[in-house]
Amino acid sequence: MATFLQLLFTGLGIGAIYALVALGFVLLIRAASVVNFAQGQFSMVGAYLLVVGFNVLGLPYYLSMFLSVVLMAGFGVLFAGATYWPLRHRGGLPVIISTIGASIFLENIVLFLYGPSPEVLPGLFDSPGIQVGPVFMDSQYLSILVASTILVILQYLIFEKTLLGKKLQATSQDKEMASLLGIPVVAMILITFGYSAALGGLAGMLVAPVLFVSVGMGGLIALKAFAANIIGGYGSIPGAILGGLLLGVAETLGASYISVPYKDAFAFAMLLMFLMVRPQGLFGEKISEKA
Amino acid sequence: MIISRRTALLGTLAAATPLRFARADDTIKIGGIVPLTGPAAEAGKFMQNGAKMALDAINAKGGVLGKKMEWVIEDDATTNPGAVLGFSRLVSRGDCVAYTSSVRSTQVNAMAPDALKAGKPVMFGGTDPSTTHQGNPWLFRCRPNDSFSARVIADYAVNTLKKTKVALVHSTDAFGTGGMNALVATLEKMNLKPVLVQGYTNQQADFTPVVLAVKSAEPDVIASYFTFENDLGIFARQLRQLGVTAPWVGSPSIISTTALNLAGRSLFGTFGIADYTPDASPEAKAYNAEYVSRYKVNPDNQSTWVYDALNLLAVAINTAKSTDAVAIQTALRGINGYKGTEGTYRYDANGDGVRGYNVVKNENGKIVFDKRVEFES
Repeated sequence: MATFLQLLFTGLGIGAIYALVALGFVLLIRAASVVNFAQGQFSMVGAYLLVVGFNVLGLPYYLSMFLSVVLMAGFGVLFAGATYWPLRHRGGLPVIISTIGASIFLENIVLFLYGPSPEVLPGLFDSPGIQVGPVFMDSQYLSILVASTILVILQYLIFEKTLLGKKLQATSQDKEMASLLGIPVVAMILITFGYSAALGGLAGMLVAPVLFVSVGMGGLIALKAFAANIIGGYGSIPGAILGGLLLGVAETLGASYISVPYKDAFAFAMLLMFLMVRPQGLFGEKISEKA
Repeated sequence: MIISRRTALLGTLAAATPLRFARADDTIKIGGIVPLTGPAAEAGKFMQNGAKMALDAINAKGGVLGKKMEWVIEDDATTNPGAVLGFSRLVSRGDCVAYTSSVRSTQVNAMAPDALKAGKPVMFGGTDPSTTHQGNPWLFRCRPNDSFSARVIADYAVNTLKKTKVALVHSTDAFGTGGMNALVATLEKMNLKPVLVQGYTNQQADFTPVVLAVKSAEPDVIASYFTFENDLGIFARQLRQLGVTAPWVGSPSIISTTALNLAGRSLFGTFGIADYTPDASPEAKAYNAEYVSRYKVNPDNQSTWVYDALNLLAVAINTAKSTDAVAIQTALRGINGYKGTEGTYRYDANGDGVRGYNVVKNENGKIVFDKRVEFES
């Protein structure tokens, strides 16, 4: 039982990481109909910004984090200008390919600028964690769980309760109609890219103390996050969260009780199962192809 | 005479071409694949540092056959396809007289068939024992192989630390599996069976399942074959967090500069076996001093094997008095007693040169030399 609880906690912690990155995915899918395969690299860039602010420039931890998030938002707008804007009238696929290209570019530009040495960042709290009965709770996993919860609520409120969110959703559903209604479509899309990059960057900063900061850290989590997005329901916010948590718990339990080397296989077997049995995911709606 | 732009261009090219070839002939080229990108890019930097030091030393002493030695490199992207591709690019240049390969056994194994086809000596740093036992006469190892590392780990755990319940954690790649097989076989000869043999795949975000498996097996000593330092770092931290305190004897990655930086306190008190450690020999000590003064960081085995590889090739080419592949191969096999940073090289017919490991201890982040264990065969 003790082992199970420990695995459950770790699984939720890892799952929350997937969920955070998946949230960034969902946002762009909903607002701009873009599947951004550079979402993992957003996390990597964010973590490196924190390294520069905290380790190199010696700024206070929370200030560096705040500055990095702001810079990431600006970076998201630039990213939109480079990968999305020139291809916006060509449909989904060219943009997807363009984001894949951007992901390779980002990894290599960081490698070039910063070098290959992995970096260490301290966690949000000095204490490594707390012991609750038989379960050791890593303080950074706890922070990630709390941060994800806050961000989910925030994202829900923005999308469902504010005029800005409604405009963003309208833009996503039908750009032409939205612009006829007087919604500044371009601004909405740029805002979404900025927010999504800030979110991805924040995820990277939260994950950094667990995974270390390296050029490859984004790729490691982005694929799982994308799987989480499909499992939860393509473009669904609660789906991304639940999908991420499910994936984290399933692979951790699977690894422990069945086989460690096949850990990644459990995650993707689960994805396949969903694609076959419930392709719309947990929270997805059944959409038939429009004529 | 009117000279068209095209003629002028062709003329310039024609004038430039012989010059270019003349310069190319001035050096003797060794081709090398290096991880410039991917998870081992850090190691690639160390490799280049070591190679630079070797080349400077070789060329300061007059080079090889009166020419300067040059090391031309291709990226292997830390992947097997990348290594194979990089190697074929080097081979297709046509001007390399020998090659250096990877420190990663899986990549050496992947490109071994191409090395056989290329028919020129390939120096490598991977430690999977099977690599040199596949009948490929062109492979020369510049580090001790894992049949020795397993014997040293087993010897140290059982005879020095007096432990018998061994939990073995290993990567499932060629290196980790090779090491695991060798260690299990060595323990068997001592009539011991590990209480746990746990594999993991490289590049994991979380090691809790592995740590819990170790914890529930209740070992009195942990042995490990980790390939990547970030995996080792995460495992080390979670191992300590979940309260496992058994002594830990790890393969060389446990004392690599990157791992010490990433894992910090979690690795205090662990033991590592090291093919390279500064205090093992005068050669190792001199190398360490020069490396530190040049690059301001401590060297590890990622750079030493390349340093030795290029020096061995220089010795072999000078002995052979030729850049003919078979002549270099014969000269390398004749090397008997060359003292490198990794130990004393005596190549056998398989291409294994060094037969010994050092045992070191991590004392509060400082790597302290304990002893060197040498084997005859």
